[in-house]
Amino acid sequence: MIQNAWLIPVFPLIAFIILLFFGRFLKEKASYVGITALALSFILSVIVLIERIGGETYSFVIEWLTFGESTITMGYEVTPLNAMMLIVVTVVSLLVHVFSKEYMREDARIHVFYSYLGLFSFSMLGLVLAPNILQLFIFWELVGLCSFLLVGFWYFKPEAAAAAKKAFLTTRIGDVGLLIGLVLLFNATGSFDYADIFAAVQAGLVNDTMITIIAICIFLGAVGKSAQFPLHVWLPDAMEGPTPVSALIHAATMVAAGVYLVGVMYPLFLASSTAMTVVAYTGAITAIFAATIALVNTDIKRILAYSTISQLGFMMLALGTGGYVAGLFHLMTHAFFKALLFLGAGSVIYAVHHRQDIREMGGLWKRMKLTSITFLIGALAIAGIFPLAGFWSKEGVLAAAWEGGDIFLFTIAVITAFMTAFYMFRLFFTAFTGTFRGDHEPHENTKLMTIPLAVLAFLAIVAGFVNTPLGFVLEDFLTQGLNVGYQAHGELWLAILSLAVAIGGIALAWAMYYKGAIAKDAFSSKLPAVHKLLLNKYYMDELYAKVFVQPTVAIGKFLWDIDRNIVDGIVNLVGRSSKITGRTFAKRHDGQLQTYGLVTIIGGLAIIALAFVLRGYFG
Amino acid sequence: MSAYNANWSLMTPEIVLGILALVIFTIDFMTGVKGKKPFLGRMSIIALLVTAVLVYINRGAGTIADIFIVDHFSTMFKIILLVGVAIVIAISMHYLDKNDDVYQGEFYSLMLFAALGAMLMVSSADLITLYIGLELLSISSYCLAGFKKHNRKSTEGAIKYVVLGGTASAFILYGMSFLYGLTGTTSIIDISQVISSLYVDYPFIVVMSILFMLAGFGFKISIVPFHMWAPDVYEGSPTPVTAFLSVVSKIAGFAIVLRVFFTTFLGSEGVLYDEWTWIIAIIATVTMIVGNLIALTQKNIKRLMAYSGVAQAGYLLVPIAAIFIPSYSIGVIIFYSIVYVFMTLGAFAIITLVTEDSGRDDFSSFSGLYKRSPYMAIAMSVFLLGLAGLPLTAGFVGKAWIFISAAQAGMLWLAGVMFVTSVISFYYYFGVIKQMFMNEPNPNDVELKAPLSISVVVTIALAVTIILGVLPGLMIDWIAYIQW
Repeated sequence: MIQNAWLIPVFPLIAFIILLFFGRFLKEKASYVGITALALSFILSVIVLIERIGGETYSFVIEWLTFGESTITMGYEVTPLNAMMLIVVTVVSLLVHVFSKEYMREDARIHVFYSYLGLFSFSMLGLVLAPNILQLFIFWELVGLCSFLLVGFWYFKPEAAAAAKKAFLTTRIGDVGLLIGLVLLFNATGSFDYADIFAAVQAGLVNDTMITIIAICIFLGAVGKSAQFPLHVWLPDAMEGPTPVSALIHAATMVAAGVYLVGVMYPLFLASSTAMTVVAYTGAITAIFAATIALVNTDIKRILAYSTISQLGFMMLALGTGGYVAGLFHLMTHAFFKALLFLGAGSVIYAVHHRQDIREMGGLWKRMKLTSITFLIGALAIAGIFPLAGFWSKEGVLAAAWEGGDIFLFTIAVITAFMTAFYMFRLFFTAFTGTFRGDHEPHENTKLMTIPLAVLAFLAIVAGFVNTPLGFVLEDFLTQGLNVGYQAHGELWLAILSLAVAIGGIALAWAMYYKGAIAKDAFSSKLPAVHKLLLNKYYMDELYAKVFVQPTVAIGKFLWDIDRNIVDGIVNLVGRSSKITGRTFAKRHDGQLQTYGLVTIIGGLAIIALAFVLRGYFG
Repeated sequence: MSAYNANWSLMTPEIVLGILALVIFTIDFMTGVKGKKPFLGRMSIIALLVTAVLVYINRGAGTIADIFIVDHFSTMFKIILLVGVAIVIAISMHYLDKNDDVYQGEFYSLMLFAALGAMLMVSSADLITLYIGLELLSISSYCLAGFKKHNRKSTEGAIKYVVLGGTASAFILYGMSFLYGLTGTTSIIDISQVISSLYVDYPFIVVMSILFMLAGFGFKISIVPFHMWAPDVYEGSPTPVTAFLSVVSKIAGFAIVLRVFFTTFLGSEGVLYDEWTWIIAIIATVTMIVGNLIALTQKNIKRLMAYSGVAQAGYLLVPIAAIFIPSYSIGVIIFYSIVYVFMTLGAFAIITLVTEDSGRDDFSSFSGLYKRSPYMAIAMSVFLLGLAGLPLTAGFVGKAWIFISAAQAGMLWLAGVMFVTSVISFYYYFGVIKQMFMNEPNPNDVELKAPLSISVVVTIALAVTIILGVLPGLMIDWIAYIQW
C-alpha cells in the first residue's frame, strides 16, 4: 500500500471538491463527507506507517519542469519522519472533523467550513509527502491560504478579518526568506530534491558561508510559519478563528510545519554551526518570551496560543542543540496534547456560550466532568508529569539542551518548563475549580465532542511510551539511514529535575489560585511595571505598527504626494513657464500635465547625469 | 537586396490585418456612424485571430531588406499581442453595449490599427520602421484614451497622454539620431556590428543614445520616473482601453526594448552591457518599490491597476538587467508576458463588468461581489493572487523563473527586492479580495449576470492562470529550448 501513499491527501481533496460543488445542498450533512475522507486517509496512513516500519523509504517522482539543464520533479515519498507526520495530521484532523460537527452545528455555512477543512488537510498532507523542497513550498503557501480562509471564517467579525490578513501577511515575510533560501539552494546544488541537496552538501560542493546563509533563509520561513519570535505576533490573533481550527491548524499541524521543515532539512543545518546556534537561540527566546505572556493572559484560547508558541520554541531549541529526535518527538506528543487542550477549551467555550475569559468561568469540574478530566490530563501532559507523553518528550528536549553544552539555553529551558506548569494550572484552577462566575449555567456536551477529547487524552497519556529508556523505538525509526549525530538521553537526575520543576509550578498555581495561600496579586502588585509589560505582550504589536506598518504606508503616501503635489511646487519655483504653456488647454484642469512632462524630462536628464557622474565622463 | 525583389510574403499577416481593418472601417461608414454594431466587434476578433494564425503559419525566419524581420521572437510576441487585442475587443463589446455615445466602428478599427502598429514594432529591424510602428500604436492609443468625448477625465487623460507621449517620442528620436550620426545607418543589425568599436572611440555619445532611448521606451512601458501619465490616463480612459494600455502597449514596449537592447546595445561579447545593466537594475528597483508602495494608498480600482502595472513592469525589467544568457532572459520575459496578459485581462474583464454595472470605479463597487456572482469573485481573486505571485498560479511560476534567472546571473539582490516588494502587493490585492468576500453588497445591487463575451474571457484567462500554475512545463519546456 505504500505505493499508494499519494491517496492519503487525495481523499480530503475529493471531499473539498464535492463540498465545493454540492456543499450548499448537503448543508450539515457536509460533515459526513469530510469525516469519511479523513477516516480513509487515517486508515491508509496507519497502513503506510506499518509498511514503512518494516520496509524501505519509498519515493515516486515525475518530471515537472526542465529549466535549462536541471529538472524539477514532483511526486511523493514516504520516509520515517513523514510516515509519523501522516499519522499526526490525519489523527488530529479526523478528530477535529468529528468535533466540529457539533461545534459548528448552528453555523449556516458549515459546508463551507468543512470544504476548507478538507482543503487544509489535503495541503498539509501534501506538504508532508513532498519529496523536494519546491513542492513543499507550494503546499506551504497553500496551507497558509487555508489558514487565512479559516481564521477569517467568521469574517463579519472585524477582528477575525483583520487577524486573517495579519496571519497571512506576517507569514509571507518568512516565506520570502524561505523562497530566497530555496533559490540559493537550487543555484548551489542544481536540485530541489532533498537527497541531491544533502549529497551535494556532504560532498562539499557548497561553501560554508553559503550553507549558513541558505540555512538561515530557510529557517526564516520556519520562524514565520511556526510563529517564532519575532514573527510570532500573528498566532495569538489567529485565535479569532473557530476553536476546532485553532486545534487543528494553530496547535497541531500547520504551525508545526516550521519545525518539520527544519527537521527535513536537518543535514543542511548540521553542516553549519552558526545556523544551529541561531535555531537554538531563537527557539529558547521564543519559549521563555511566550511563556511569560501566558502567565498573565486571561483569555483561554490566547493562553493556549502563547503556550503553543512557547512549546514550538522548545522544539526549535531541541533541534538547534542537536536533538533531532527530541524536537520531532516533542512535535508529535505536543500535537496530541495541545489539540486536546484546544478542543477541551472549545468544549468549554461552547458550553458557556462563547465566552473565553477564564475569570468568567470557574467550577466547571462539577458541571462538565469528562471535559474537565481530559483537560486535566492535557494540562498534566504539557506540564511534564510522569508518565504522560509530555514528560518523555520534554525530558528529551532538556537532555538535548544540556548535552548541547550551553548552560544558558538549558537554564531558559528549565525556567520555561516551570512557567509552563504554572500557567497551565493557573488556567485549570481558575476555570475548572471554585465557583461558577458566568451567567449561563454550562452543561457537558454531547458524545460527538467528548469522544474526540477522550481519544486525544488517551494519546496524551500513551504517545510518550514510544521513546523511553526502556526502548528508544521512535529514535531508531527516525534516524534510520540518516546521519544526524549523537542523540542525547537524559539521566535520572534530569528526569527528577524536570519532574520537580513541573510539580513546583503546579504547586505554586495551586497555592495561588486554588488554596489562596498566596494572594493572586502577590507578584503583580510588587512589580506593576513588569505586569503591565506582560499584559501588553511586550508591546510588540504596537512596536511593529510604529516601526514597520505605519512607515510603509507613510512612504507610500509620501511618494503618492510627490506624484501629485510636491513636483507642482518645484515647477512654480522653476518659473512661470508652466503657466504660459499651460494656458492653451490645462487652464481649467489641475495643471499637472506640465508637471508630469517636467518630471519625465527631469527624470530622464537625472538618469543621464547620474550615469555620467558615476561612470566618470565628466572628467 | 533591393525592396523590389524582397520576399514581401513575410509581411502577409500585416497586410491582411491592414486590409481587414480598412474593410471594417469601410463597413462602419456604410452602416451609418451611430448605433450598436456588435457584428463589427465579432469581425474584429476574427480578423485578429486569422492574423494570429497567419503569423504562426508564416513563422519561418527571414528579413525584408534588413528592415523587417520575422523570427521566433517576433512571431511569439505577435501572437501574444494579437490574442491580447482580441481579448480586449471581447471585453470592449460589453463596454460598448453599455455606452451608446461611443462610435463603435471607429473604436474597433482603431484597435486593429493599434495592433498593426504593435506588429510592425516587434518585427522591425530598422529604427525608422520601429518608430513608425510605435507611432501607429501610440496615435491610435491616444484616440482610444479620449474616446469618451463628453467625459472630462477621459479628454483630460487623452491630452496628457498625447503631450507626454510626444515628449517620449522626442526622447527616442533624439537617441536614435545619435546612433545614426555615428554609424550612418538606421538598421539595427548594421548598427550592432559596428557599435562596439564606435563605443571605444565615442563612449559618451553611445551611452547618451542608450539613455535617451531608455527614457523614451520607459514612458511606453511605464517605469519610474516615467510612469506619471499612467494613473491619470488609466483612470480616465474607457476601461477596455485601460486594459489595452496596460497589456498591449506595455508588452509591445517590452518587445522593442528587448530588440533594441539585446540586438544593438549588448555589443560584441557584452562590452556595452556593463554600461546599462546597473541603470536598468536601479530603475527596476525603484519601479518595484514606488509602484507597490503607491498602490497601497489607492482607493480606485483603475488607479490601483495602474500602479500595480508599474510594479509589474519593474518585475519584467529584472531579467533585462540580470542577463544570464540573453536568449534565456527573453524566454523568461515571454513566459511572464503571457502570464501577465491573461491575468491582467482576466482582471480587467471583471473590472469592466463590475464598474459598468455600478457606474463607479472605487473599491466599494466590488463590495459583496461573492454574493452577487461567486464565479466572478473567485476568478478575480485568482487573478489578483496570481499578479501577487501565489503558488499554484501562473504568476508564481513566472516570478519564480525571473527569480531563478536573476540568481543565476548573480543579481540576487534584485530578485530579493522583487520578492520583498511583492509581499507588499499582497496587502493591496487583499484589499479588493476583502471587499468581494467579506463585505455585504451595496443595498440596490442585485445578482450580477455576466454577458457571454466577458464569461468566455474570464474562463479562458482563469484556465491559463491555473493550468500554467500547476503544469508550467507545458509552456516552459517549449520556450526554454527556442533560440530567440
